[in-house]
Amino acid sequence: MTERSFEELQRELDEIVTRLERGDVPVDDAIALFKRGEELYKECVARLQGAELQIEELVPRDPAT
Amino acid sequence: MPKVEHTVYGDRKVFTVSAFNRGIGMHLGRLPPVWVEGEVTELRRNDAWANVFLTLKDPKTGACLSVTIARRTYDRLELVLVEGETVHVAGRAEIYELKGELGLRASTIERLGLGDHLVALERLKRALAAEGLFAPERKRPLPRVPREVGILTGADAAARGDLVATIRARFPATTLVVREARVQGKGAARAIVAALAELNARAEVDVVVLARGGGSFEDLLPFSDETVVRAVASSRVPVVSAVGHEQDTPLCDLAADARAATPTAAGALVVPDVRELALALEATRRRLRLALRSQVERDRSRLARQGDRLRAAPRLILERRRAALDRSGARLQTLSPLATLGRGYAIVRAGGGALRSAADVASGDALDIQLAAGSLGARVEDVRP
Repeated sequence: MTERSFEELQRELDEIVTRLERGDVPVDDAIALFKRGEELYKECVARLQGAELQIEELVPRDPAT
Repeated sequence: MPKVEHTVYGDRKVFTVSAFNRGIGMHLGRLPPVWVEGEVTELRRNDAWANVFLTLKDPKTGACLSVTIARRTYDRLELVLVEGETVHVAGRAEIYELKGELGLRASTIERLGLGDHLVALERLKRALAAEGLFAPERKRPLPRVPREVGILTGADAAARGDLVATIRARFPATTLVVREARVQGKGAARAIVAALAELNARAEVDVVVLARGGGSFEDLLPFSDETVVRAVASSRVPVVSAVGHEQDTPLCDLAADARAATPTAAGALVVPDVRELALALEATRRRLRLALRSQVERDRSRLARQGDRLRAAPRLILERRRAALDRSGARLQTLSPLATLGRGYAIVRAGGGALRSAADVASGDALDIQLAAGSLGARVEDVRP
């Protein structure tokens, strides 16, 4: 499985917050959702922090191009 | 006419450089004004400058001539010249004294009709526009946070450097996939199409930037080539066109999903600012925590209300029973014979039970009459059944 993109993680986090804010989640589920949200937040922050720009040169398949 | 100063060394007249240039300038100034035909290149106009500069090029030999014209004169002509257009310029030869460069001081410029390239370009532009290739509804939104950014660039260190620097400063948490391609001259269109296809083939590339610095009209022509324009329009991922300078509009600009005036602007378009993103994440986390807290708070107060009701229940039952008892007592009271006696009735007894019929007694029988207060002993005197 490919690693999920930052955008996907952020979208899931936003959805969790929106669900929790509606306030109709049973309390056990709410706590589970909260934990998941915290994980997502930490994963997002970790991806932003200390990242170094990667530069990859693509070699032309046809050298004439 | 002022004399050109010189110094005499014996039999030798020696001029300073400036005096020489000025002297030549004076000679040039005596030549009659002429018309010169050529293609406009390197047109430079700035509101802050007194003059507009351009170079006239001979399309056959490539020979060049610098032209200056007063900015006000140029603006009054309302020409909106495009690079590559053929014009007629009227003016006098002059020399730029500081550099000793020959130029043409223009008094007016006339458009001679669009150059062949421009005509062909205009025709292609109309055809592609009619096909709907440039329609606004075709434009796709750029990804907010691209996994990989594809960069299609020539061996143009400046454009590439600006783009990389901007992306590094804004959002280093990404990967740039750089594909260098021949972007001008023969075979450039084919090279650009091939490079774009290779970038599109990379699964994680979410957006492609065409980064090409400024250049002459001819240099930028490949970016108006029909195959390039179609490749941009049919790209799998959105394309940002950062080709040429502000005033250039190669056709790939019109087919691209977004256009950037400079590579730096393109960098700002394709990646978010990591600081803004971090702030947004913090805000989301605060909402997350607040949402859980208010959820728990709601549950706790609901629980407290339920507890209160539970504790109040026994007392409530007792109160209800007492009230019911009170109501029964009151009803009992109204039914009691004693209450009836209170209203003036009497109970008459003869011997045992209460007397209900006059026929049950005879004259002379003893009666006991009970009143609300006390009782009487009496005798029957007359019976009227």
